[in-house]
Amino acid sequence: MNKADARLDYAADKMIGELLKEEKVELDEKFRAVLKGELVERIRQHVEDKRRQEEERVRKEEKSRREYFLRFGLNFRLQHLTLAVGVLILIITGLPIKFHDTLVAKIFFEMTGGIAVSRVIHRVGATLLIIVSVWHVLFITATRTGRNDFKQLLPTPKDLKDFVQNIKYLLGLSKQKPRYGRFSYVEKFDYWAVYWGMVIMILSGLLLWFNNFFLGIVPKFMFDIATEVHSDEAMLATLAIVVWHWYNVHFNPEVFPFNPTIFTGNISKEKMIKDHPLEYEQMITKTEAQRKKDVPR
Amino acid sequence: MTALLTILLAFLQIGSSPQNTRCFLCHGKKDFGVMEDGKFQSLYVSPKQFSASIHGKFTCVQCHTDVKVIPHFIRPQKVSCLQCHFEGNTVGAPVKWMPEKYKDSIHAKALAEGNPNAPDCETCHTTHYVKSPSDSTSQTNRRNIPDLCGRCHIKQFESYSKSIHYKALENGMLGAAVCTDCHQEHDVLPPSDPRSALSAEGVVRTCAKCHADTLLMARADVPVQQPEAYSESFHGIALENGMVKAANCTSCHGHHDILPASDPNSPINPKNLPKTCGKCHPHADKNVAKGKVHIIPSERSAGIVFYVYTFFKWFTLAVLVFLFAHIALDLSGFIRRKHARHE
Repeated sequence: MNKADARLDYAADKMIGELLKEEKVELDEKFRAVLKGELVERIRQHVEDKRRQEEERVRKEEKSRREYFLRFGLNFRLQHLTLAVGVLILIITGLPIKFHDTLVAKIFFEMTGGIAVSRVIHRVGATLLIIVSVWHVLFITATRTGRNDFKQLLPTPKDLKDFVQNIKYLLGLSKQKPRYGRFSYVEKFDYWAVYWGMVIMILSGLLLWFNNFFLGIVPKFMFDIATEVHSDEAMLATLAIVVWHWYNVHFNPEVFPFNPTIFTGNISKEKMIKDHPLEYEQMITKTEAQRKKDVPR
Repeated sequence: MTALLTILLAFLQIGSSPQNTRCFLCHGKKDFGVMEDGKFQSLYVSPKQFSASIHGKFTCVQCHTDVKVIPHFIRPQKVSCLQCHFEGNTVGAPVKWMPEKYKDSIHAKALAEGNPNAPDCETCHTTHYVKSPSDSTSQTNRRNIPDLCGRCHIKQFESYSKSIHYKALENGMLGAAVCTDCHQEHDVLPPSDPRSALSAEGVVRTCAKCHADTLLMARADVPVQQPEAYSESFHGIALENGMVKAANCTSCHGHHDILPASDPNSPINPKNLPKTCGKCHPHADKNVAKGKVHIIPSERSAGIVFYVYTFFKWFTLAVLVFLFAHIALDLSGFIRRKHARHE
């Protein structure tokens, strides 16, 4: 008899003993032993059942957590990576020009060897940005996934409804979280902000970079506008990235310290159901349909 | 007999320092001089002008210390200004940093190298008629500086005399820039010297000394925002951070012969701008004249750039208010849900 069984045996014995004492009845030894044996068996079975249920639950949860979907393909991820590296280089080498009177800028120029060096680095970042912009245009026109993603990124009236619903949800006025598709309005905002920023920054930047070429083509005040626009949009973009984008993908307590999906490409089923229920449902119906079609009739 | 008389005279002078009147007995005569190497060298000193000078109250022998008896038969040594003008002197001669500064200058360097034309103190300040620069008859007075420097620097004077600065000076605008305002007074250095006020980095500060002076520019009716606008421009930022080839004030405005844009000979006249900008930007054509120069985006005078600036200012503000509000809502929602779960 092992220790657990002995404890169970003792507990059953005690239970019967107490009950008999309370009711002031006597039982013969044999019946009492049978009763005890049955009681021990029932308790053991119940405990066993509970344990199995719990194990099953944990296993299922683990499975769903380990069940991943591919959210972003390699092409998509590399575009983001190139863009991120390019933008960081541009911000680091660009802001000291805008804030050239500050101590940080002075230290930066001292460290890099002055504007003659830092502007070369800035143009490396600019080249990455230009490459990614051409690449992305090709992606959303020439590839099927790209075309599909771009369609899903286009703003729709549902985004406005989602926005209103999300505000209600955040304020506690509604229990229902908006049901997002592949891209939520937050992600769409990010995308179009970058789109607008890229067009402005690349056009004004090219004008300033190749000023000697453009001097014979456009009037001088265009350079003044380009300078101002480049500086102001840079500020706006930097703030949008640091405040908005980094909040959503880094500092938001739901994803802190960071949301790895854009680098790994994978999203857990759990998160998928939570954050992109519509896309999940579509995916399931599509897979079901596919499976039905595949079944030989 | 003459020798005896001289000794007698010398004897009489022992113990008393000779008065200037004694010196002027000879040196006060206009035709007094000596023949040296076949040339007549005047030794005349005007008693009137000397007594009007800042040193007029001193006796001749206080500087010419090696003259003990008059008449003197030996040639007195050259007087050095540093005999009195040194730090800690007891006769009360003002010593500022001037002699020290002069030592660093290209003039002092040339003199030390043996250039006979290099100026010493007395070249500018005169030998016997030194006057304070604040005295309008002094040749170191602002009004007379161009003539003084122009005595040697003829070409530069000729060029400068065409400039708006000289015209203003001639019209009695004494605040107008003269040679010493840009080249410094005593520590004149070539622009290639980094200590020079006219080095590539220094030239902007040098022009800004006057052109950022609101009162002075108001008097001269010249806009005052140029230096500020320049330092905020890419040329200004690049120059400030180590790109010496970036355009500074003189790259476009010239230097000695600075003229306003309205003058057809000015390098910044709209007609001449393609050529001026073309010095650095090979494709510059008449496009470079289309637009304002030295603009401050936050000021209405910047024209279209002001509207771009204003748009972005409000746009950025609006976007950020929205973003922060959204984030605050998101966080509050998160906290509320967490509380609800715990209860």
